[in-house]
Amino acid sequence: MSLLEIVNVTRSFGGLTAVDGVSLTVAPGELVSVIGPNGAGKTTLFNLITGLDAPDAGEIRFEGRSIGGLPPERLAALGLARTFQHGRVFANLSVLDNVLLGAHTRLRAVRPQVPLVGPLVELALALVRPASVRAEEQRLRDEAREILTLFGERLLPRIDQPAYSLSYANRRRVEIARALALRPRLLLLDEPTAGMNPSETAEMLEIIRALKARGLTILLIEHKLELVMELSDRVVVMDDGRVIAEGAPELVRNDPAVIEAYLGHSTIGEAADAAPRELEAV
Amino acid sequence: MNDALLELREINTFYGPVQVHFDLSLSVGAGQIVCLLGGNASGKSTTMKIILGLLKPRSGEVLLDGEPITGLPTPQIVRRGVGSVPESRRLFPAMTVRENLMMGAYTREDRAAVREDFDRVLELFPRLRERLGQQAGTLSGGEQQMVAMARALMGRPRLICMDEPTMGLSPLYVERVLELIQAINRQGVTVFMVEQNASLALQIAHYGYVLQTGRIALAGPAHELLRNPQIRDAYLGGQVVRGA
Amino acid sequence: MNSFLDHTINGLIIGNIYALVAVGLALIFGVSNLINFAHGSVYMVGAYIGWVCVAALGTPLPLTLATVMAGCAVLGVAIERLGLRPLQGAPRIAPLLATIGISFVLDQLVQLIFSPDPRSLPSQLPSWRLQVGSGSIGALDLFVAAAGIASAALLYAFLRFTRLGAAVRATAQDRDAALQMGVDVNRVNQVVFAIASALGGLSGVLVGMYYNNIFPAMGFQATLKGFVAQLVGGAGNVPGAIAGSLLLGLIESYGIAILGTSYRNLFAFIILMAVLAWRPNGLFSAGRKLPPEPLTGTFVAPSRPLSVPRWALAAAVGAALILPLVWRDSYVVQTLTNAWLYGMLALSLTLVAGTAGQMSLGHAGLLAIGGYASALLALDLGVPVPLAVLLAGLITAALGTLLVFPAFRLRGHYIAIATLAIGEIVNLVILNWEGLTRGPIGVAGIPPLELFGQPLVDAASVYWVALAVMVGLALLQWRLTQFHLGRTLRAIREDDVAARAFGISLNRYKGLAFAVSGFAAGLSGAITAHMYSYINHETFNTQISVLALTMVILGGLGNIVGAILGAVALIGLPELFRGLAEYRMLVYGLVLLLLVRFRPQGVMGTV
Repeated sequence: MSLLEIVNVTRSFGGLTAVDGVSLTVAPGELVSVIGPNGAGKTTLFNLITGLDAPDAGEIRFEGRSIGGLPPERLAALGLARTFQHGRVFANLSVLDNVLLGAHTRLRAVRPQVPLVGPLVELALALVRPASVRAEEQRLRDEAREILTLFGERLLPRIDQPAYSLSYANRRRVEIARALALRPRLLLLDEPTAGMNPSETAEMLEIIRALKARGLTILLIEHKLELVMELSDRVVVMDDGRVIAEGAPELVRNDPAVIEAYLGHSTIGEAADAAPRELEAV
Repeated sequence: MNDALLELREINTFYGPVQVHFDLSLSVGAGQIVCLLGGNASGKSTTMKIILGLLKPRSGEVLLDGEPITGLPTPQIVRRGVGSVPESRRLFPAMTVRENLMMGAYTREDRAAVREDFDRVLELFPRLRERLGQQAGTLSGGEQQMVAMARALMGRPRLICMDEPTMGLSPLYVERVLELIQAINRQGVTVFMVEQNASLALQIAHYGYVLQTGRIALAGPAHELLRNPQIRDAYLGGQVVRGA
Repeated sequence: MNSFLDHTINGLIIGNIYALVAVGLALIFGVSNLINFAHGSVYMVGAYIGWVCVAALGTPLPLTLATVMAGCAVLGVAIERLGLRPLQGAPRIAPLLATIGISFVLDQLVQLIFSPDPRSLPSQLPSWRLQVGSGSIGALDLFVAAAGIASAALLYAFLRFTRLGAAVRATAQDRDAALQMGVDVNRVNQVVFAIASALGGLSGVLVGMYYNNIFPAMGFQATLKGFVAQLVGGAGNVPGAIAGSLLLGLIESYGIAILGTSYRNLFAFIILMAVLAWRPNGLFSAGRKLPPEPLTGTFVAPSRPLSVPRWALAAAVGAALILPLVWRDSYVVQTLTNAWLYGMLALSLTLVAGTAGQMSLGHAGLLAIGGYASALLALDLGVPVPLAVLLAGLITAALGTLLVFPAFRLRGHYIAIATLAIGEIVNLVILNWEGLTRGPIGVAGIPPLELFGQPLVDAASVYWVALAVMVGLALLQWRLTQFHLGRTLRAIREDDVAARAFGISLNRYKGLAFAVSGFAAGLSGAITAHMYSYINHETFNTQISVLALTMVILGGLGNIVGAILGAVALIGLPELFRGLAEYRMLVYGLVLLLLVRFRPQGVMGTV
C-alpha cells in the first residue's frame, strides 16, 4: 500500500506545461529521489504535493485519501512535513521556538478546528493554562531537545539563539529539526544540501541516512547525484515535465534516455586527476 | 605577460560585527582565467561584492590595473572595464533579450562600436539570435546564463567577474558555459570566477585560490590544485567525503 | 443638463487627474518597491504653489504650471535624498513609515503657514463650453485632458526610447543587476521621484482649479485614490495605473450622480477593498504568484529586547497608582489618563503590528467602533455604563475582525493600505448612517463612567479606572503571547509560507490577533467616549492611527512595556513643552522620521 500516490498529474502555466501526466508512488519506509535537469518540473511537482499549488488534472493521494488542492495547513495536520529550497526558518525566533513550531499541529490547544468556537477555546486555554497544557508544553520542549541531539553539537549549544544569527548550514539543519517535530509520516526535502560544501553535504547525508534508518518515508529533490545514488531506494527522473525513467539507482544511472537528457557527455563524476584539457567544441 | 589586472591586498571585510575576510590577498593575471573556490561560509561571494563595489572592505585595497578602486561606486568600477555575470544570472525579466544585451553596453558612448560588438556577441552565442525579441524572464536557466554572459561582454570589459556561473544548470549547459568561458578568454578577456564546484572550475582555469572561512587556504596553478589531495578531500564537487 | 454624457466626461476628466497621481505612484513603486505615502502631500504642495503663483504673483497659466512642476520636482528629489536614501539598508518597513512621517510634516507645515481653511484657486481659462451630444465640455476640461495625454505620451517615449528610460525600467526590474550594468541607481531614483512629483504637483494644481478649492488636508485623499487606481491596474504598472484611474473617475462620477457627493470617497475605498480581496495583482493579471524566499522579507528589525525586572514594573505601577494622591494637579492627572487610554491603543496595535506582523494603519477605526458602541448602548438602550464598555469591547473585537477579514490574504505593505482604507470606511459610514450615529451632529450627552452605580466625575477616579484597565489588558496580552500563541503569531510575522506548511492557519490566528486587539481598542474608545461625553466622526481620525503607530515603534514592535512607554512619552512630553501645542503634530511626524532612520527597533527593542 503506497503512502503517497501521484496519478497522472498535470499542471500548466499559460502555454507552458510544467508537469505533464506525471505518476509516481512512494511506499512506507522508502526513500525516493526526484532528479532532473533545470526546468524539468521537479519544483512544480513539489509545490503540487505540498499544497502551494493545485493540479489542473490528475490525483494525488496520501494514505489513500485524496489531497490534491488541499492547502498546506491541512497537509501538515495529515502528517506531511517539508523543508524549503533555500531554508525558510523563522528568523527572529530562537532555534527552540523554530522546532516547537514544527509540532504545532500536535498541540491539543489547536485541535478544535471548528471556526469561531475553536479559536476562542484556544484563546481561553492560552489564558488559563491548565496543568494539561503546561505539561504538554514541557513535553514538547524535552522532545525538541532530543531532536536537536541528532545534529550533535551543531544546534544544542545555540538553542536560544535567534535563527538569523546562525550559519546557513545550521539554518538548514534547524529546518529539518522543525520538520521532525511534526512527527511526519512523509518528509519532503527540497534540495537539502543546496549551497553546502562537500563536508557539510556529507554530514547531511548521514543525517538523512539516520532518519531513513528510523523508518521515516522520504521524498527528496536533489541535484547532487552521488548523494542521490547513496541514499535512494528508487530514483525518478524527470525531464520537460515528464517522467523519463524510474527504478533502482544503478539502473537509472545507466539508462540511455537519462544519460542523454540529463548527463549529456559531461565529465562530472570522472576521476579528478585527469589532466585539464580544452573542452571540445560541441 | 602575467601582470596582475586585478589585485586584492590584505582585504578585511565585516558584516556588522562578524569578520568575513581576514587579510585576503589574491591577484588575477591579465589574460588568465582565475577561479576562487570555497564552500558556503567561506566568503567567496562576498569577495565578488568587494571587487564590484557592492560592499566596502574595512581595510585593504582593490587594484585594477594598478589603480585603486576600493570603495568606488559600482557604476564607476564598471566604467573602468569590469563586467559582471551575477549569481543566478539576474537578467531584467520583463525586458527582451536584445534590451538586456543593450543594457550591458549602458556605460558606453561609442554607439558604432556597440553595434559591432552586438554582432560579434551574437556570433559567439548564435542560439540567442532567434530569441532577441523574447522576454528574458521566459528563458530557461541555461539560456539565461548565455544571455547574462553575452550581456557582460557587451560592455567590452577587460575583466569579467562571474559568480557561480554553473550553479543550477543541467550538465549539458554546464559544458556549454565552460566552453564559452574559454572562448571569451581566448578573445583576450580576463576572467575571474567564483565557483563552488572545484573540479569544473579547475578544468578550465589557469590559476586557482581556495578560500576557507575568509582566508586563502591554498593557491596555485589549476592543474596542480586538481591533484592536491587537500582540495580533493574538502572541495571536489561530486566527491562526498564518506564516513565523515 | 446633467446627462449621462456629462457624467462620463466628468468622470474621464477626474480620472485623468487621478492618473497623474497614480502614474507617479506606479513609477516610484516600480523602481524602489516603495509605497509613497508622501505623494499626496506633494500634490497638495503643488496646489499651494499654484495658488501662490496665481493669487499672489498673478503669473500666466503656462508659467504657473511650469513653476508648480519644477517646484514639486525639487521637493520630490529632496524627499528622496534626505528622507529615503539614508534608509537603504533598513528593514523594508522603514521607508514606508518614513513617507508617512514626511507626509505628516509637510501637511502640518502647510497648515501652519497657510491656515487649515480652504481657499479658492481660479483657473484663468476662458469659460466657454462646447456642446457635445447631450452634454458639454469646457475649456478647463479640455485643458486637463490635454495635460494628461501629453504627460502620458512624453512619459512613454521617455521610458521606451531613451537610455535613461531603459535604466529606469531596468532598475525597477532588478536593482542590483542594474547597478552591475553601471546604472547609477541613486540618480535613477531621483529622476523617478522628480518626474513623479512633478506629475503629482501638476495634478494638484489642476484639481485645485477644477474645483476652485484647495486645503491642506487634500493630499490624503489623493494618495488613497492614487493607490486604488494603481492597485486596480497592477502595482508598478504605468499603463495599468492610467486605466485604473479612468475607471475610478468614471465610477465616482456615476456614483455621485446616483447617491450624492458625500459618498464620493466611499467608492474609492470600496473598490480598493474589492481589488485587494479578489485581485491583489490588479485587474489585468492572472496572478497566482508565489511569495519570495525570505530572510529578505522580515519586517521586524532584529534586536534583543531590553528586559525589565519584575520588581521595577511593579514599582512603576505602584507609583502610577498613588500619583493622583501625591500630585494634585488635575491637568497632570488628565494628561496621564489620556496616556493610559493611548496606552491601551498602543497595546492593541503592538499585538497586531508587532507580534503578528500585520501593519495596521486603521486602528482609529476600532476606537470609533468602541466609542460609538458604548455611547449608543448607554444612551439608546439604557445599558449600565460598565456593561456598555465591556460590550463595546466585545463588539469591536467581533466587528473589527469581520471588517479586516477580507485583508487577511494580503501581505506586507498592502495590509497597511487595506487597514487604512477600512479605518476611513468606518468613519465614512459613521458620518453617513445618520439613523444610527446621528451623522455629522455626533453623539452628545454620553453618561459618565460609573462604578457600582456611582458616577465617576473627578479626574482621579477616571484616572484609576483607565490605569486599571490598561494594566489589566497589558497582563492579559503578556499572558497570551508568552507561550504557544505568541510563538504562533510571531511565526506568521516571520514567514507565513513556512507557518502554513506547519499547520498554522493564517486566518485563524490573524483573526485571533485582531479580535484581542479590537477588544483592547474598543475598551479604549468606549472609556474615551464616556470621559468626553461627546463624540463625532472626527474624534477618532486617521492622525490617531499614525500617532499610535509612532508610539508602538518608539516602544519597540511587539514590546508590551514599550507600547505603554511610547504612549506616555508621546502624550506626556509635549505637555511639558506647553508652548509647542500648535506644533505637536509636526513633532510627532519628526519623531517618527527620526525613529525610523536611527532606531527602528525602538527604545525597548522588538519582541
